[in-house]
Amino acid sequence: MALPGEMKIEIDRELCMGSGNCSFWAEGVFDLDDDGIAVVLDPTAAPEDKIILAGQGCPTQAISITKDGEKLA
Amino acid sequence: MDVQPDTDPAMVLFSPDAADEPHKPYRHLLEQCPVARSDNGSISGAAGASVLISRFEDLNWALKHPEFISSEDAVAIGNDRPLIPLQIDPPEHAKYRRLLDPEFSPKKMAALEPDFRVLVNQVIDQFLDRGECDFHEDFATPLPSTFFLRLTALPLSDLPVFLQWRDNIIRPDVEPGDFDAAAEIRAATGKEIYAYFERALDDRTAQRDHGLLSRLLDAEIEGHSLTREELLDICYLLIIAGLDTVTATLDCMIHFLARHPDERRRLVEDPTLSPVVVEELMRFETPVMVTARTVKQDVTLGDVELRAGDNVTLVLGAGNIDAEEFREPETVDFDRGRNRHLAFGAGPHRCLGSHLARLEVRVALEEWHRRIPDYRIPDGAEFHFSPGIRQTDTLPLVFGSG
Repeated sequence: MALPGEMKIEIDRELCMGSGNCSFWAEGVFDLDDDGIAVVLDPTAAPEDKIILAGQGCPTQAISITKDGEKLA
Repeated sequence: MDVQPDTDPAMVLFSPDAADEPHKPYRHLLEQCPVARSDNGSISGAAGASVLISRFEDLNWALKHPEFISSEDAVAIGNDRPLIPLQIDPPEHAKYRRLLDPEFSPKKMAALEPDFRVLVNQVIDQFLDRGECDFHEDFATPLPSTFFLRLTALPLSDLPVFLQWRDNIIRPDVEPGDFDAAAEIRAATGKEIYAYFERALDDRTAQRDHGLLSRLLDAEIEGHSLTREELLDICYLLIIAGLDTVTATLDCMIHFLARHPDERRRLVEDPTLSPVVVEELMRFETPVMVTARTVKQDVTLGDVELRAGDNVTLVLGAGNIDAEEFREPETVDFDRGRNRHLAFGAGPHRCLGSHLARLEVRVALEEWHRRIPDYRIPDGAEFHFSPGIRQTDTLPLVFGSG
């Protein structure tokens, strides 16, 4: 559970096709695991607007981002 | 191309003009026979019967279940042993991917971007002043091949022989359907490829360089170095996969954008759209039309029984225009949202080089359109796409809005 003011980033492993586009938009926040599926490494490694771009830019819409109950991507 | 209802499905897909407008045969397969038995040879180069699978859902399942639909022994392209990692199924497969994936990870590829951007501009400099080019010959072929040779630290002067090997393996110059003649060319070429990499590995065993082969020589799996055979089997796959697919992808995408000025203008006006353009055109064009598999355990798909040993052709391009998965699948829509395309495959054998390919194609499109925003294919130009991996034989372009 994210604390107030913190971003909560979730990845749907069924939808993710491992395009790696998220790590293009927000390097350091996302990486791919051994199965080629996106994982969150460090949610503070890039500015919030970049992370939101990563969520919006995911070609499979596998990334959901919420903050204080509000859906950002 | 008009498809007769009783035409053999493999012949629909591999007819000489199918790769020029592949949506027609894909649509035929999806509508008439989404799981189809063919009496003709498969894309694998093997003669005999094969099964073609075309629906997105079936393809996605097949790609993710190698215990049923195996990638072992599926393609005979002049190699003596299974190609690593493509023709090794899980669980054995994972140890090779764990070694190779980091070499081609998004992070590693991002570090190459500045260098690649410079190379793209150098290639464009060669012909920009002419006001025209053969896109296939002058841009799409040298760009990824040159970069591949840099990554592997192999001499650029070897490029012509690499390209000849690539053509011998992927599209051997034989009469259509002459599988024996194709196999002969592939076997002879395979011997040359092994001999070349034996020497290249010997040289680097004596003295390491900064390239990928040297890193593989120093790599360890479970505490052991790779054997010479393992190294050769990796190199063989890298040269075949590394030299052809991005060329084909660039041909497909520029061919589309040359004929669709509205879509092109959106990219020119907003270069940040490029990652989306890449994914959507990967889906719509599917440069690698099919991938080969064999059935490992009997299984029923649709109402077709697949038996152990059957050749399978996974028609990735058909899955990518399946209306069950994609809204208005035959429209290019940069605002489509979810785009779970299969152009790089899926599952354990998903394309190892996909992040390199994405980088190369994205940066190539960005720099090309920054410097050459307007271009067209001259009237009356004659060219064709090759089946299987769709590259053009020639793609003339003239620059400017005239």
